[in-house]
Amino acid sequence: MLAISLQPEEFDLALGVQRWLIVFGTVLLVSLLVSLMASLATYGGTGPARLFGRLGYAACDFMSLSPRRIFAVALLTFREAVRRKALLVFVVFAVLFMFASWFLTGNSERPEQDIEVYVGFVFTTISWLVLLVGGVLSCFGLPEDIRLRSLHTVVTKPVRRNEIVLGRMLGFGSVCTLILVLMGIVGQIWIVRQSQGLTLSCRVPIYGVLKFLDRTGAETSKGLNVGDIVETRGFIEGGTKGAAVFQFRLPKSQPELLRFESRFEAFRTHKGSMDRTIQARYVLSNEEKGLRVPLEKFNVAEFSQNERDVERKISYTNEKTLKKEEVDLYNDLAQDGWLTVHVQCLDRGQYLGASRGDFFVRELPDRSFSAGYWKAMVGVWLMVVLLVMIAVTASCFVKGPVACLLCFCVFVLGQPAHDFMDKLVTGKQVGGGATESLYRLVSQANQTTPLDNQMMERTLKTIDRLPSGSLWIAKHLIPDMRTFSMAAWVGKGLDVPWYSAMLPSLAVALGYILPCVLLGYFSLSLRELESK
Amino acid sequence: MSAEAVIQIRNLSKIYRDFWGRKKVRALNSLSLEVYRGEVFGLLGPNGSGKTTTMKLLLGLLFPTEGEISILGKSATDVSKNERIGYLPEESYLYRFLNANETLDFYGRLFNMSGETRRKRTEELIEMVGLQHARRRQLKEYSKGMTRRIGLAQALINDPDLVLLDEPTSGLDPQGSRDMKDLIMRLKSQGKTVIMSSHLLADVQDVCDRIAILYGGELKELGRVDELLKERNVSQMQTSSISDACLDEVKAVLAKHNVEFHKVDHPTNSLEELFLKTVERSQQRPGQRYVPESEAAKGGTAS
Repeated sequence: MLAISLQPEEFDLALGVQRWLIVFGTVLLVSLLVSLMASLATYGGTGPARLFGRLGYAACDFMSLSPRRIFAVALLTFREAVRRKALLVFVVFAVLFMFASWFLTGNSERPEQDIEVYVGFVFTTISWLVLLVGGVLSCFGLPEDIRLRSLHTVVTKPVRRNEIVLGRMLGFGSVCTLILVLMGIVGQIWIVRQSQGLTLSCRVPIYGVLKFLDRTGAETSKGLNVGDIVETRGFIEGGTKGAAVFQFRLPKSQPELLRFESRFEAFRTHKGSMDRTIQARYVLSNEEKGLRVPLEKFNVAEFSQNERDVERKISYTNEKTLKKEEVDLYNDLAQDGWLTVHVQCLDRGQYLGASRGDFFVRELPDRSFSAGYWKAMVGVWLMVVLLVMIAVTASCFVKGPVACLLCFCVFVLGQPAHDFMDKLVTGKQVGGGATESLYRLVSQANQTTPLDNQMMERTLKTIDRLPSGSLWIAKHLIPDMRTFSMAAWVGKGLDVPWYSAMLPSLAVALGYILPCVLLGYFSLSLRELESK
Repeated sequence: MSAEAVIQIRNLSKIYRDFWGRKKVRALNSLSLEVYRGEVFGLLGPNGSGKTTTMKLLLGLLFPTEGEISILGKSATDVSKNERIGYLPEESYLYRFLNANETLDFYGRLFNMSGETRRKRTEELIEMVGLQHARRRQLKEYSKGMTRRIGLAQALINDPDLVLLDEPTSGLDPQGSRDMKDLIMRLKSQGKTVIMSSHLLADVQDVCDRIAILYGGELKELGRVDELLKERNVSQMQTSSISDACLDEVKAVLAKHNVEFHKVDHPTNSLEELFLKTVERSQQRPGQRYVPESEAAKGGTAS
């Protein structure tokens, strides 16, 4: 279903920056303390002076970065990759695309799903191929340079180690960008050709803020749970005052026509009417002015979109006076630019499930398919750039195969395992942390029920909480690779939202630049390139 | 020669350790020496004597276990010293996928040279090392001699004050070797300081003002080449060819003064000199070939 995979969450940039500062600061502080102790152990009393001297020297190195030298290393890296036939990856790409249509069969009943499949295929293929090429090139670039001693002819010139690290990142990043752009163009042409007869568009959703009203009309933090394990949606009871209340910030351009688009989930406690689905309605309200404008009820289409056009001037029957009245969407209903929409289920004994992603105001006209497609491609690009940064950093202190393994681990931990780490840190993991899980495993206790011995459970939970600080740091050290996946938006024909998709991915990628460059610089500077 | 020291090494030691920090080998032990501006200084020693380690310590590729290095008034780990240094490594470590033009352009960029300066310098150096005909070929297609020459060109891209040459004549044919030695002498005449390490003692003798001989990581000999090679208890005189009678008289005079007579013979050219003369002759008279004396006696002639 559409909504489960696309739950837009607004990215809090200030909170992100705050967390970045905490994690980066902590790691920096710990590194400094360890270095201080190591310098004392190695050089005795003169150790700290040497250490701070080295740090001062490092600061000078960063102050005197030369764009020309960085560009020289980047150009060298680009030439190296091209002349070592990195672009042969296009052969694999071409073969995959030549035969892909044999296996990607269409669905004549629901053609919009075909586009989803095509977009998914293009993005998966491109991501994996570029990640593979970028990862391998970046992991082996510097270690090969050191092994063949070509780097000796570079470091004996007035080149700072940070210039080498930055140049390498830039060079490999450029190669990957070139490959990605070319593949992206081919991929788009392929999707357009495959989707002949279908409309490719990019709808621009405005998502709202969601809250719930219970059956008495009182505000609650979440809707009812009808037994789903995943509590993505909250349900409202039909035929009561229960409602899902969405608040949308309306576009400042104040268009004459807005389109409400929703895809709610129904939960039935009885068969209901056989000739129609569950009924619902939108009620636009302005509490300050005491306005309640109900729109026409509609049958909830459970497996496709419910679309409802709303004009600027709305005629309705006032529930109190029973008179026909007309209101203006922006001047009468909107409150400080925010529009409140109540979604109510009209069938008694039936339930309607709603989540934030299930209902949005669609800004018209739609954008071109290319706009969303290339925004999602930027997401892939940011992921590749991040992987290149990590790979180059790793290659500064380990050999190529080890750097590859390290990148692979980061990538795996950054995908499905990130969710697991999240749950461990927040204590939401079913079955508890490592100690509690082990105890449950040995004692054959159910993972989902509380332990019989409550004292034991409390003790185990306390033990599991001890490393939560370091786990919190680890969770934030490993990038959340899921942030970069934006293909689902394009597949659903939606524009990629800036605040909940583009901005977090950009922030994650940017957040790794400084730590990677610093780590790479110190690893390469403190390393004897000729060590036997 | 100016007495200004461009390199000062004090009690330099280097111990190679394994992953666990255990001592593996002591490559250099308390080395102290100075190299002065404008001289050609040779580092000699058998394999494993520590000369390449010394070079790499000077360049900051290795860190000393003990001791201090001052190079052009700066620490060996200070990158800014490299502005005035040129380095020719022992093997060809250049990027084999670049051609000669790209190689010199790349290293020129590392010195922050402008585009015009890089182009000018590239032209000069390619001409100097005689690689005009191969400037657009990738280095992986170069012979060993050609690779050494482009290596030398990259070492001189910044017109350095101090040139470090690791085995500069290795892999070169006698003509290339001669050219290299001529170039070293030219650098010296321009007031540059050259440090070279070599196994080829004749080469060192030809060009070096002073040498240091290392053995087992320790300095065993240091001084001017002519001083070190001079045998003070043996005398040598050169005359035009003398008759047997004259030789007998000379021997008698020497005996009268209680001087021990050792030998008299005709001086020989070095093999290098013979080779270079032959090559020069061949270039002047192409097609001429060697004819054994027996065939020449039968009436054969050189063609």
